[in-house]
Amino acid sequence: MDSLPSSAGTAELGAAGAREELVPTALAPTGPAAAPGAARRRLRALLRRPTFVVSAVIVACWVVAALGWHLFGLDPYGNSGQALAAPSWSHPFGTDNLGRSVFARTLAGSDTALAVGPAGAVLATVLGSALGVIAGYFRGWVDTALMRLFDVLVVLPPLIFLIVIVSAFGASVPALIIIIGVVFAPGIARIIRAAVLAEMGKKYVTSARLQGESALRVMATELVPNVRPTIIIQATLSLSSAILMTATLSFLGLGQQPPSPDWGLAINQNIAYIEAAWWTVIFPALAVASLVVAVQLIADNIKETW
Amino acid sequence: MTVISRGDDPPYPPGVSRGNGLPAPRGFGALSERRGRILALLGRRLVQIPLVLLAVSILTFWLIQLVPGDPGRNALGQYATVAQVHAWDVQNGLAGSVVTRYLHWIGGFFSGDWGTSFTYLVPSRPIILGHLANSAFLALYAFVLLVPVSVILGSVQAYQEGRRTDRAITISLMTLSSVPEFVIGVLLLVVFAVGLKAFPVQSGADATGDFGQRIQAMTLPAVVLAVSYLAVLARMVRTGTAGAITAPFHRTAVLKGLPPGVIVRRHVARNALIPTLQLLGIYLGGLLGGSAVVETLFNYPGLGALMVVAAERKDAVLLTDGVMVTGVIALLALLLTDVCLILMDPRIRFESRES
Repeated sequence: MDSLPSSAGTAELGAAGAREELVPTALAPTGPAAAPGAARRRLRALLRRPTFVVSAVIVACWVVAALGWHLFGLDPYGNSGQALAAPSWSHPFGTDNLGRSVFARTLAGSDTALAVGPAGAVLATVLGSALGVIAGYFRGWVDTALMRLFDVLVVLPPLIFLIVIVSAFGASVPALIIIIGVVFAPGIARIIRAAVLAEMGKKYVTSARLQGESALRVMATELVPNVRPTIIIQATLSLSSAILMTATLSFLGLGQQPPSPDWGLAINQNIAYIEAAWWTVIFPALAVASLVVAVQLIADNIKETW
Repeated sequence: MTVISRGDDPPYPPGVSRGNGLPAPRGFGALSERRGRILALLGRRLVQIPLVLLAVSILTFWLIQLVPGDPGRNALGQYATVAQVHAWDVQNGLAGSVVTRYLHWIGGFFSGDWGTSFTYLVPSRPIILGHLANSAFLALYAFVLLVPVSVILGSVQAYQEGRRTDRAITISLMTLSSVPEFVIGVLLLVVFAVGLKAFPVQSGADATGDFGQRIQAMTLPAVVLAVSYLAVLARMVRTGTAGAITAPFHRTAVLKGLPPGVIVRRHVARNALIPTLQLLGIYLGGLLGGSAVVETLFNYPGLGALMVVAAERKDAVLLTDGVMVTGVIALLALLLTDVCLILMDPRIRFESRES
């Protein structure tokens, strides 16, 4: 599975490009993104899609669980006295080898799952978009240098690269956020760069430059708003990859450490008991899958409605 | 590194303009021009690969230098004197500046002396190559499962384009592809290994064991690997096939009354498989280098799982060598893909992706 968010097609670039040619950018510097009704119309189109609504509800549930699990009286660390007990009324998902409630741990695990992913995705998007816009705007040696650097970074499979970086810098939450940001940025930068290159030939860019606007201003007020759809799609795609990557690292034993109720770690710790107590593994696994798939489906829906 | 721009190009039939406004070269002149381009591409690759490899090696080595820990102290124990630890460091190429150590390591890597693993206390080369062979075997098995299934699914979709079958396959594949590998693995384990007892829970390849047994033990991990690549590959086959079916040369072939088998073999398959092949090459590198997740989940002794162990134990020697091997494999897979593409597609375009 290609973990880097590099799968955006070029269709959305074409759509964005076709619209903006008509906008007199000297007067309305933000181009098509400035239309006020567009955002509401897009939201309405999204809400008509059942997969989007279901996914959004799932993500919302996990966010509530992550923020409020200690308010629900859940105890993910306490020993109930029964190790590896099958699911029952008192323990809906059974208990693990240390007698801890799998239900409480699965809900509490959303905390660490959502601690790194969103921040990492935001960092990756900001970093990747900045580099992509710079490379696409300046071309020349800046572009070449960045692209060759990214070529080197993509030679290694992303997970192997991540394993090396994590063993070098550790797997604390701030370190993981920076690592995810840096590892995912090149893929995003490439796509944003392609989008910017498509915009560069347009008249509004030329007129802005002829007007004497500074490079920074052209990039920030002309180019970024016009490649915004691509940026938003890349951000959602990288969010799902970032959540998956942190769960994967924990699963490999390189992320969260015991006694954290993290989902990936729970699978890692309990896989040895899978024959005796499948419930210790299956519920955290389904939790990861539901969150990752839901975010991915949200990204797909945004991509299709834009 | 430049990659040939095949992936998203429509499959042009021979002799048709290739989008640059010029007609495609024909006849003998075209042949010699083509050969020149092939040599140029291969030459460029042979220059690029060492350069990229050099950059990867520097990056990897530098990163792994940051791994905390004192391997000399760990190896000799707390009663060793400082001088003894220093002597051990010198012997293992751990003394001196980063540059000296890098040169010591890279020199050793290319002359076959890969250093001694801190964890296993034996030379890292046989360990890594042994695990690499296991990974490659698993990857091969996954490929055998993956390729026919994705070709069938993708071409069914292309021939049914826009109909319900097409949409159903697309939706199920997309959903399946976003489910994490280890979740698919866990579900398969619970159903087939724990529930039905059809496969063992642990897939550790026992080379001395019966071959059939080994294959049986490897089936679940191979299926998980195959499933994780299925969606993208089927999609590629679908796009390629759909492009070939709608192309004018396909209509000509149908109208001149060729039997369907010949059309599929000679006109559709060739054009549809070229983009697919390129994608396969990119994935082959990743697959051969081993999937850390699948191998760890099924306790399969592959290179990916070895890298995870090396990272856990802070085994810098094993980690550096293993990552370097992974990089070499990925680059060789890319080169192999280029060669295959040249052999399959006589009208390939040798342009950098960006131009």
